Amino acid sequence: MKMIRVRFALAVGALLVACGPAEEPAGDIAERQVRAVATTSIVADVVREVGGNRVAVEALMGAGVDPHLYRASEGDVQRMSEADIVFYNGLHLEGRMVEIFERMAEQGARTTALASSIESTRLMSPPAFEGAHDPHVWMDVAMWSDAVESVRAALSELDPQHAADYQARATAYRERLTQLDQYVREQVNRIPQQQRVLVTAHDAFNYFGRAYGVEVRGLQGISTVAEAGTADVQELARFVAERRIPALFVETSVSPRSIEAVQAAVQARGFNVTVGGNLYSDALGGEGSGADTYEGMIRHNVDALVTALAGAANG
Amino acid sequence: MNLSFPIELDFTLRTVALGAAILGIVSGTLGTYAVLRGHSLLGDAISHAALPGIAIAFLLTGIRSPFVLVLGASVAGWVGALLVLAVTKRTRVPYDASLGLVLSVFFGFGMVLLTFIQRMPSGNQAGLNNFLFGQAAALLPRDVIVMSALGVLALITTLVLWKELKLLAFDREFGSAIGLPMRAIDVVLTTLLVVAIVIGLQTVGVILMSAILIAPAAAARQWSDRLGTIVVLAALFGATAGVTGALISAATPLLPTGPTIVLCAGAIMLISLFFAPQRGLVAQGVKNRRNRKNLRELGVLEDLYTLARQHKNPLHPHQAVVLRTMTSGPESVAPGLVGLEKRGWVRSAGRDSWALTPEGYVAADLEFAKWNMDPAAGAER
Amino acid sequence: MADRTAIEVRDLTVAYRDKPVLWDVDLDLPAGVLMAIVGPNGAGKTTLIKSILGLVTPAAGQILVNGAAYDVQRRSVAYVPQRGSVDWDFPTSVLDVVMMGLYGRLGWLRRPGKAERETARHALSKVGMADFADRQISQLSGGQQQRVFLARALAQNASIYLMDEPFQGVDATTERAIVQLLQELRSQGSTVAVVHHDLQTVPEYFDWVLLLNVRRVAAGPVHEVFTEENLRATYGGRVPYLREAALEPPAAPFRLERAAGSE
Repeated sequence: MKMIRVRFALAVGALLVACGPAEEPAGDIAERQVRAVATTSIVADVVREVGGNRVAVEALMGAGVDPHLYRASEGDVQRMSEADIVFYNGLHLEGRMVEIFERMAEQGARTTALASSIESTRLMSPPAFEGAHDPHVWMDVAMWSDAVESVRAALSELDPQHAADYQARATAYRERLTQLDQYVREQVNRIPQQQRVLVTAHDAFNYFGRAYGVEVRGLQGISTVAEAGTADVQELARFVAERRIPALFVETSVSPRSIEAVQAAVQARGFNVTVGGNLYSDALGGEGSGADTYEGMIRHNVDALVTALAGAANG
Repeated sequence: MNLSFPIELDFTLRTVALGAAILGIVSGTLGTYAVLRGHSLLGDAISHAALPGIAIAFLLTGIRSPFVLVLGASVAGWVGALLVLAVTKRTRVPYDASLGLVLSVFFGFGMVLLTFIQRMPSGNQAGLNNFLFGQAAALLPRDVIVMSALGVLALITTLVLWKELKLLAFDREFGSAIGLPMRAIDVVLTTLLVVAIVIGLQTVGVILMSAILIAPAAAARQWSDRLGTIVVLAALFGATAGVTGALISAATPLLPTGPTIVLCAGAIMLISLFFAPQRGLVAQGVKNRRNRKNLRELGVLEDLYTLARQHKNPLHPHQAVVLRTMTSGPESVAPGLVGLEKRGWVRSAGRDSWALTPEGYVAADLEFAKWNMDPAAGAER
Repeated sequence: MADRTAIEVRDLTVAYRDKPVLWDVDLDLPAGVLMAIVGPNGAGKTTLIKSILGLVTPAAGQILVNGAAYDVQRRSVAYVPQRGSVDWDFPTSVLDVVMMGLYGRLGWLRRPGKAERETARHALSKVGMADFADRQISQLSGGQQQRVFLARALAQNASIYLMDEPFQGVDATTERAIVQLLQELRSQGSTVAVVHHDLQTVPEYFDWVLLLNVRRVAAGPVHEVFTEENLRATYGGRVPYLREAALEPPAAPFRLERAAGSE
């Protein structure tokens, strides 16, 4: 009996020690790397660009991971609580992590939503989802450039000694983004007006469409959580066949089955539509894919779009 | 010809409706046996157990073709079913507990694997999450062909083993006693159930599959007492639910097809529960009301008869108030008299007094003399 | 008549988990005998029947039916299970149930045909249920259900009948009819073993009796074996009928007084 009590006491003691708060001297931060955790790979890329060597970024979601459906694990929460700062997209993109962010903010952790530095008047709200904003703000390069600002501001506040570094890097990055925006515009203009329709698995490209003059149609809506119904497939197939749109696009983070179903339906109407390529919508690609950075991703998407749609115009 | 119909019977709808119909037919047929044996929830356990099979199949092969995933689902579902039966047989754990155990443990394991797969670069493209609630709208002709082939196989097997399956469901021990391999037949039935479930996974998903298995069969049971009729009806109800669900989903944007099919099956079940003749709640209510009414009238008739036998003139009228004192339920006298009058067995003699008619007297005689309740009557006889 | 042994049981031991249900039971049941199997609850009576039928795997012992293993002799043995062992709400007709007795000889693909229907109807008429052939079994009374099970066994045209409590919950008229049927079977040379719960009627209905309480207490002709001593040994003093005042000398068969309530 005595042994049991001793063991019990030891166990409780060990538990208490393990749960004790880890002391973090705030003053240290200038001397060491900032530990940042980002949710999506796209967010992580921005933090990397602005932070440079000063910031060690860890992305919770890797290449090809769907942020709408992602559920944080205990390990993820642990990583977030141990980090100096957490960056996320916001606007409910990380639909299943909203409560976690709220709780962390309550407990005084530093969390920054990249979408917060974008003027709310520029945000889109699709008719089917009243009250909710479309979170895919990175698809408009010029608008995403504004989001870079929130990263710069947050890092500067956390680590004021290196604010100048962050400022310099942010400015340089935004310069590159302006050029990228220009590239996109030029490329899109090569597609004849009536072929400029982007059909994808879910409504991730509304901002892209608005910024660059492309008509956008998604099968599933702004979140992949909702299941596409028969009417939705039929409607989209009708649209594609009537407008004779040459290509449909699948996304790396979403199952292509529903798009394949649309394709079959369109072909049954006598029009041959192809699958024009794999687009990076909610996540970057892996290493070596050419789309493992934000810039790479946008370029890849635009090139695929132009190849599939502009090329067919000559046919 | 231009119909102002919101639903277009196009390729997509045809494919989805056909797939849903096949699912309904096979589930209805095999679900009948599950329901009759009291093993309804075994289907639920099998479908939930299929989840880790799908995940493991993907993890092992990296292939996201439905064929491979569905194969994994069958293996896991089958293992789950056998585990339930083995645990029940060999341990003290009762049947429903082992069902719940296998269901939740397998499903939990499946969810863990799914979460793990979600973090893999190609994981989301596999679309394994779609197996939770199905993705009926994305059915392709090749899927429907596979479903049909499996379905036909299952139905033929059911037909061939018709009497053996009937015996298995009704009196398994007797079957063993006369030398039939009931254990093997049980395994065959379980396998057929797994096939039925696996056919439906892509359409209604793991979570809702058991509804399609149970509801049509339970509904069919309400309408018939013959096994053959029940099986055919269940298949019909299943197909109806499938096609109706597909049609409704085709008319309404943003309405997922799988759950709609399940709702249709539920509606059929509800209608059958209430409106089936004989077994339906409405029919039973009507029957009960009629019985109570009869009893009421008989009670009043008997009292009138007693009075009549004690009187020189059996057709002499009596005050209703007298009838009310004779019974322990005086409030039933008035409606009873009304009913008897409708039958022509009593007549009103004015001022709340009533008398038996000659027909009424004869009827009462027939009904009550055999009981010999009236001592006076005995003496007169 | 008793020069053939219908059922031979040797050292039969059956355990459920680690509790013995039958222990070292021996029995030599001669052919053409109508035997009652009696004993208190949990004595292993049903288990004995099921062991003979191969439905239960014994821990030890062997059973021979007509001198061979049950598997070989299946066709000669008919089983009437307890009425409560099935769900009578199952959608099937009386005739269908009786025809189930014939499934064994039909094989895999053949369906019951005219010949089978005839055999079934004949069996039904023997139990007085010919008019009920197309009735749903859910509409039957207890006695009628019992008779349907009997008819199913009769349809098999067996030489050995094993019945588990065929008189339970049955009205007096049906009981008399069943007894008559059993005795008829016996007189035709069949062997009938019946798990029976009413001690009072044992001497009247049966020729032989097996007194069982996990172990075999005694077995043999009723007039030899159905004694007060043996009954005490079987029921451990729990027999409610014993009236001290009316004790007969030990050698004579014990006649039980009619008492209110049964075992």
